[in-house]
Amino acid sequence: MKINRKKMFKFLLFLLAAAGAVIMIFPFVWMVSNALKENVFVIEYPPKLIPDAPSFGNFVRAWTSNKFQLYFVNSAITAVTSTALTVLFSAMTAYSFARFKFRFKEFLFFTILLVLMVPDMITIIPKFQLVKTLGLRDSLWGLIVVYVAGGVSMNTFLLRGFFESLPKELEEAMLIDGGNYLTVFFRMILPLSKPALATVTIFSFMGNWDEFTWALTAIDNPLKRTLPIAIYSFQGQHGTEWGLVFAAMLIALVPIMVVFLSMQKYFVSGLTTGAFKG
Amino acid sequence: MKTRTTILLTLSILLSLSMVLSACAPQPAAPVDPEVIKETVVVEVEKQVEVLITPEPEPEGPVTISFWHGYNADVEAKYLDEVLIPEFEAANPNIKVQAVLMPYDQFRRKLLIALSGGTAPDLARVDILWVPELADQGALANMEETLADFDTYKDEFLAGPLSTNLYQGQHYGLPLDTNTRVLVYNKAMFAEAGIDSAPVTMDDFLTACEKIKALGEDKYCFADGGTYAWAVNPWIWSFGGDVTDAAVQTSSGVYNGSETVAAYQFLKDGVDNGYIHPGILGGGVDAWGGFATDTVAMLLEGPWFPPLFGSQFPDKEYGMALMPAGDGGSVSVVGGEDIVMFQQSQNKAAAETFMRYLLSEDVQLKLASTGQMPVLKSVIESDFVKNHEFFGIFLEQLKTAKARTPHPNWSQIEEVMTNTGSNILNDVVGVQEGLDLAVEQIDPLLVIPE
Repeated sequence: MKINRKKMFKFLLFLLAAAGAVIMIFPFVWMVSNALKENVFVIEYPPKLIPDAPSFGNFVRAWTSNKFQLYFVNSAITAVTSTALTVLFSAMTAYSFARFKFRFKEFLFFTILLVLMVPDMITIIPKFQLVKTLGLRDSLWGLIVVYVAGGVSMNTFLLRGFFESLPKELEEAMLIDGGNYLTVFFRMILPLSKPALATVTIFSFMGNWDEFTWALTAIDNPLKRTLPIAIYSFQGQHGTEWGLVFAAMLIALVPIMVVFLSMQKYFVSGLTTGAFKG
Repeated sequence: MKTRTTILLTLSILLSLSMVLSACAPQPAAPVDPEVIKETVVVEVEKQVEVLITPEPEPEGPVTISFWHGYNADVEAKYLDEVLIPEFEAANPNIKVQAVLMPYDQFRRKLLIALSGGTAPDLARVDILWVPELADQGALANMEETLADFDTYKDEFLAGPLSTNLYQGQHYGLPLDTNTRVLVYNKAMFAEAGIDSAPVTMDDFLTACEKIKALGEDKYCFADGGTYAWAVNPWIWSFGGDVTDAAVQTSSGVYNGSETVAAYQFLKDGVDNGYIHPGILGGGVDAWGGFATDTVAMLLEGPWFPPLFGSQFPDKEYGMALMPAGDGGSVSVVGGEDIVMFQQSQNKAAAETFMRYLLSEDVQLKLASTGQMPVLKSVIESDFVKNHEFFGIFLEQLKTAKARTPHPNWSQIEEVMTNTGSNILNDVVGVQEGLDLAVEQIDPLLVIPE
């Protein structure tokens, strides 16, 4: 009886997980199936998952359409640079919060957390004025600076917990052997923190790659636009060719997949980072 | 102690750095002068000598004007970028045009932020409804002052679309394209229900609805996306009602007057009897999908419908007719876009040149081929438009079509209308009572503070 009940429970769990997986994957499958249909202005109901005459025409059209490739490159430059800088700066900030003693430490950390709680939309006009005064409006640097500034707070919070969990003794040994804090940071802390860094990288890359509102606000020059704006522009005022939009979205998904898959092995172990201190 | 001094030192360095930086910051504003010189070059070509004398001769070159628009990406914007602008630049070598396609539903927000930051474009193609709001903010150049020949120039345009640029008696833009909604009916469903011709009056419409409903519980006579003004106003006007009085002073006795009440009652009965698809209650409906699969018999659609719908459902047969006439006649709603010039523009003369180019007979005719309905009287008379497969019915409807209330607070007024309509159709409130409440909210919005 007992074993049976256990089996039943497991089976139930399996069913639940399967249902969850189907729910999660369905919109994606639907998107793929619509991307394979041409001339879709009206999404069919009930949804037909296997198109009658599948074709890659939408992908070709999206990829070769008006400056799409340029926008792809712009997005890549922006996302890679901001992600690299975000990871570097938040790791440094988090390390100093984790290891050094200085005045107002907790107050400063609290301030960083506070910034985290202000919705982005509220600060969009001040940000716009600031970036304009700095002469960074209408350039990819204007995006990068804002993305990095926005990303550092969350990631500092995430990484501090992880760094504090690393054994202090290792560090002390390194210092006694003649290393300074920079060597400790680059030679020991960073290599040991791969799971946490992978998590930070994935999340911040996703955020930077997909960001729409600020990119639209700060950039006027069509040659400096990023991919989300280009995709959004495929939506017409009166009718939208959804097949084309979905195809463009799928193309935009590739880099995220690449980043995710290449860091996946670290990712799962990194997810719980910062949940427990010490 | 040592750490404290270091922190203090760092802090003071940071502070002084930030001061230096902020002192530097306004400097990018300095090259205003060269820009002014650049402008003189364009306006008066004879004065080129002046440029040579200035200590720092700017490389004289074309001025660039920016034009923001929401043309659809795959047809209209492509045509603009690949045909119209190159042609213009070839004819005007000292003007470069930077056309920027804006995602339509973010366009207004982007414009408002750019205006607040002083980075507005020179020209923009904007929804006719935004003109009063932008003019009210002082953002737009007054066309009557900017264009020397405005008094004669304005006669080239159709009166209805031109009037959408009026704000406090002055024109703050020019029409660029126009459209309206006409009745589109599903021929297969009409044949099945035994309806011979498109409904001409509201009574015909009701008779048609009874016959359509007889086809089945899941068949709907009419569908629309909600209770916003674009959807509801054709009914209000055709019943003889309106949102405000002609002078846009009050909505009392108009929006809650007997004609408007009759219009809402008509829609409410339509929903209750199952004639109108429940999608109108809010949340929207895939009206085109229902039309294609023979569950919806009639829609109100604009001139974009034939090309867009036709490309996905090339075999679906449909007819087009005027809005059914009620006590107020057959009145539909005017849509479309205006072209406006911004006060912040540093290159008004160049902007004017491009504006006149887009409004020239030749270009209007070319734009008509991409589905944009022209606004010039002369183009309307052209053979192309006269023989066009579907422009005719829209032009006929435009003769009586009305524009939504031109008012800077229009978006708030429309929100009241949308909520009111939704409450009425959802049975939250009675028709008369709901409209009375709406009037109380709309009237204060009509007052413009000095």
